[in-house]
Amino acid sequence: MNTPELKMRGVGHAYALKSVLEDIHLDLPAGRVVALVGPSGCGKTTLLHLAAGLLALRTGAIENGFRKPAVMFQQPRLLPWKTARDNIALGLKAAGLPRAECISRAQTMGHTVGLDAQALDQFPYALSGGMQSRTALARALVLEPDLLLMDEPFSALDIGLKAQLHRLLLDHQAQRGLAVLMITHDLMEAVRLADSVLVMASDPGRIAHRIELTAPALARDDAFVHRTTAELLQAPTVRTCFGLEVLPPDATVACDGAATVVSIGLAQPRAKKGFSC
Amino acid sequence: MTLFRAWLAGLPAYLWSGWGAIASLFLLLAAWEGASSHYGALILPDPASTFATLARLIDSGAAWPELVVTARRALAGLALAVASGSLLGLAAGVSMTASMMSRPLVTVLLGTPPIAWLVLAMLWFGAGDGTPVFTVFIACFPIVFVGALQGARTLDGHLKEMATVFRLPLPMKLVDLYLPHVVSYLFPASITALGTSWKVVIMAELLSSSDGVGAALAVSRSHLDTAATLAWIGAVVGLLLAVEYLLLEPIKREVERWREVDHEHA
Repeated sequence: MNTPELKMRGVGHAYALKSVLEDIHLDLPAGRVVALVGPSGCGKTTLLHLAAGLLALRTGAIENGFRKPAVMFQQPRLLPWKTARDNIALGLKAAGLPRAECISRAQTMGHTVGLDAQALDQFPYALSGGMQSRTALARALVLEPDLLLMDEPFSALDIGLKAQLHRLLLDHQAQRGLAVLMITHDLMEAVRLADSVLVMASDPGRIAHRIELTAPALARDDAFVHRTTAELLQAPTVRTCFGLEVLPPDATVACDGAATVVSIGLAQPRAKKGFSC
Repeated sequence: MTLFRAWLAGLPAYLWSGWGAIASLFLLLAAWEGASSHYGALILPDPASTFATLARLIDSGAAWPELVVTARRALAGLALAVASGSLLGLAAGVSMTASMMSRPLVTVLLGTPPIAWLVLAMLWFGAGDGTPVFTVFIACFPIVFVGALQGARTLDGHLKEMATVFRLPLPMKLVDLYLPHVVSYLFPASITALGTSWKVVIMAELLSSSDGVGAALAVSRSHLDTAATLAWIGAVVGLLLAVEYLLLEPIKREVERWREVDHEHA
């Protein structure tokens, strides 16, 4: 059997007459983590919604060979009238599993992401933001997905919690050969987790820059992440994408070759005009 | 069954938390006693003789049949209002056009005094059960309708997307997503409607019927029997308080445990 893959070819999207995405090409094979980074309003979320099938595709083609995709949204999106445990079990229940199994699997996954029995009994309003994010992560992972789509899921968390959840995600990803497409505006997060980082430019949203990281994600330390992020931030295309001034050529740090940087053929992206969408 | 057990288990703590309420009711009784001794028994009989009259009414078997008749009418009107109000309200909430069109109609309904409906109902339905039932229905319908409309309109699009992504089948969407949300609007609206129904039914009976608590009030008024009047009022208010605070409020607390409110100080 072929390994499943998510393929996007020439994907574009427009809201009314405003084009938000143009000519996106992307390959995500099983077991890889791809991060899409870009400024706010560059169409990242639209792209993820297209991949999740929440928006009808208008231009281009998306081939999704994965059978069990799961999504983690920017907000936890828990059902307020269900306890954390029942929220985690939601997808299992939807799949028609018997109640006892749903509960026991939800419980185990809850413990894995660091929710104790007491927290699992709580309704979402009583949980802290971090615990709500853990619940949302558990709700996605308990389905044993083969593809995980994530839309800035950790952006509201403090760095300690973020690091914990990153580790949880990476452990799970490594064990199960999960494919992850994650959206973030945090370059450091992208460099920590992803095998490929795609930088998007806005107006309309398109992929302007790509780096491949060869070191395994679990082996990356803080120094590596900081260095690579700094390196990435010196690339003129990346700076233009985020609306930063381009650095003079002599102000660069040494590159140790841990990452392959590929600027995609596009000409310099147009500078960000004010704010968009 | 679990709801009943939770209701039973929560009752002692709930009743214990009612001491403050009981204290304030006793203050009201004290003020009543004071006013009564100032104005005399013809204007305002004191609480003791009022409750004695009420006990006599109950003992003689006169009270319950009237209360049952009144309750039947109020509940019939309320049931009609809840059924049609929630169905139509949900239907209106689903469509933007329908909800915009229904808004002014609901304002008209809410703004029309029940007594005006009562006069019309007396012309249409005569002296039977129809008049009070219709008046209760028309007074309660807009309250329930607005509750259902808001419930349907305010459903979070984010949660709908989540339900789609996690592949919730339609029955599960209805039970786990739409129903709890809509009920959280419908339940309080229905409780408000219950209070309204109880008040309106007595007014309707007073003017249109020959039986029920309203009719009994009309009789005691014509006899200038203030004690009996107050006794009937006491019976009606007591019954509503009992239903609301012993039955509905504990159920509401149990059903809406997920809401972010501080129950202890609510």
